[in-house]
Amino acid sequence: MNPLSFFSAADPLSSVGLLLAAAVPAGAVSLWLLLPRGRKNRIAGWLGLALGGLSLAGFVATGRRLGGVGEEAVFLTVSLVAVVSAAATILTRSPVYCAIWFALSLAGVAGVLLVLGAQFLGVATIVVYAGAILVMFLFVLMLAQPTGMASYDRVSSEPLLSAVAGAVLLGLLTLAIGRLSAGPASAPTTDAPTDGALASDSLATDQVARLGAELFGRHLVAVEAVGTLLLVALIGAIAVVSRGEATAADADRARQRTAVP
Amino acid sequence: MNALLPPLETIAALVKIGLLVGGLMTAAAYLVLLERWIAAWVQDRRGPNRVGIPLTKIRLFGLGQPLADGLKIILKEDFTPKHVDKVLYNAAPLLILAASLAIFAAIPFGSVLPPLNIPGLPDPVPFLVAPGLDVGVLWVFALSSIAVYGVLLGGWASNNKYGFLGGLRSSAQLLAYEIPLGLGLLGVVLAAGSLKLDVIMNAQAQSGIWYAFSQPLGFVVFMVASFAEAARLPFDLPEAEQELVGGYHTEYSGIRLLLFLVSEFLHMITASFLIVIMFLGGWHLWGLTGSGQEVSWAGAFIRCGVLSGKVLGVIVFFMLVRWSWPRFRFDQLMSLAWKVMLPLGIANLVAVATVEEFRPQLVEAIGQTWATLAAIAGPWALFFVSLITAGMLTPSGTDNRPIRTTRPLDGTRSHPTQSLAPHELAGTR
Repeated sequence: MNPLSFFSAADPLSSVGLLLAAAVPAGAVSLWLLLPRGRKNRIAGWLGLALGGLSLAGFVATGRRLGGVGEEAVFLTVSLVAVVSAAATILTRSPVYCAIWFALSLAGVAGVLLVLGAQFLGVATIVVYAGAILVMFLFVLMLAQPTGMASYDRVSSEPLLSAVAGAVLLGLLTLAIGRLSAGPASAPTTDAPTDGALASDSLATDQVARLGAELFGRHLVAVEAVGTLLLVALIGAIAVVSRGEATAADADRARQRTAVP
Repeated sequence: MNALLPPLETIAALVKIGLLVGGLMTAAAYLVLLERWIAAWVQDRRGPNRVGIPLTKIRLFGLGQPLADGLKIILKEDFTPKHVDKVLYNAAPLLILAASLAIFAAIPFGSVLPPLNIPGLPDPVPFLVAPGLDVGVLWVFALSSIAVYGVLLGGWASNNKYGFLGGLRSSAQLLAYEIPLGLGLLGVVLAAGSLKLDVIMNAQAQSGIWYAFSQPLGFVVFMVASFAEAARLPFDLPEAEQELVGGYHTEYSGIRLLLFLVSEFLHMITASFLIVIMFLGGWHLWGLTGSGQEVSWAGAFIRCGVLSGKVLGVIVFFMLVRWSWPRFRFDQLMSLAWKVMLPLGIANLVAVATVEEFRPQLVEAIGQTWATLAAIAGPWALFFVSLITAGMLTPSGTDNRPIRTTRPLDGTRSHPTQSLAPHELAGTR
């Protein structure tokens, strides 16, 4: 059975479609049960974990097979790491643990990109997000919270709305991506050569060079615009910081003026 | 794509991983011995020279010392204090060791083997675990930034002031020095036209001009930044024994401390490999190794030996610097990164880009030889000019005395016999 037949709209009520239609709400309910609410509820926790596991199993069962057993295993591992640690990011109470889970989720995403052959994107995800931005977050979190947890860490502000919104987004994205990939190449026989060509293409030796040529050829204006935006943000940050310093010096001077007479 | 790799390639990769991990771990153990010997030599004492073959009286110049050290630290009590965050406390050493070992997937440790003609194995076999990785340098960069987590989390999870300060210092230092490191690296990548470390080595072997000669400024910037990234003296503020007891690994003991110490040595080995591969020609040595892709068996191993010898040389340099340079103050560290190394790195990058852009016109105008000479002389001129400029613009680099802006509490000069420097006089009024 072609697992994507659900998306081709010819057979909207296939078992795969039903599975997916059950997995998305199950994931939402699981998240809603697991989101932190001040004090711990053991039953809700176990129920949420079970539902989440079922939902993940549903997604895995409906997914498209990649080919070899080894590749499939690696792909499933890294994507499960990405999804589970993304969920743990919002479910954990301690901000430092949230940041660690987020880093693990990014590592999972980078792993998915590496498995799919997008080497530059995978490694850049680690360098930029996990290596620079998140370390900065951790730095600030550790400095700001040496002891105890604030109430905004213990209680999730909108558990129901956020779970529902996440589920709706997830369902819509899965539907859209499924339709896209099921569109032109719906016959399963054409998959194998396409995958092979894709693999040899993505393992080409001059991958980064071609990515660079594409970025600085066709998308030059966009790259320059983003660069300018970042520069403006940097200058803005410096302006904000230096203004703060000036007021501190002003306060100092004012205190001196009042102290002298 | 039927499988991730054909089986023979998988076996070849596993053999290489085994060789690398075994070699690196042994190397780390013996580098500790070497470091103790060099320390003893610098301090004019004998150093470890007793432990030889166990259960005999043969001393062998103390070559058995790493075994004894290893056994001692493994068999020591592995104590976990009550106040630590257990999960992260246990995860931090594992994370840092895994990251510092995984870096070597992209680092070549030789050139290539001669053709083996085994069906199913693409010839020639490179001395590199992941030859298909097109982003080699970035991989190294990514994993060394993952290693920061080990230090930061180890320091935080220890729930100890000294550990925490060590972790914070480490993360600030590594974040700051990643930028000059990247700038030094970009110059080489720009000149070689590839992110793969084996291609970078081949480019230097082809031309016979190592990048240390054609990009001296980039070499210095990269070298300083990799000292900082490896947290070796004079950049060892994260663990500074005299200030922070042991920094981020204050609370660790036994085998988990061993993991931290081993990964510190692995960082130094990585840094030396990178310096050699990117700036000192890798396996290339004039008149000895040849420069092409065709090698004999002897040639393949000579190239391995040349690369290892150069790496060892750089490591010895690291160790000598440790005993000849005092540690920076933290503000000096930061101003060196942002006010000196960053502009120097940018200057080097601009110079390299200019040279590479106008090289064809230059060759056309004055011929190949003169163009090559000009492409070397220009960067050297820039090197001296920028070092002199940097020295003149940041004079505090030569004056280590703290700038005193307030009067001492008792209202007198703190050192009546010692004359104050002009800026100190200005500060104290």
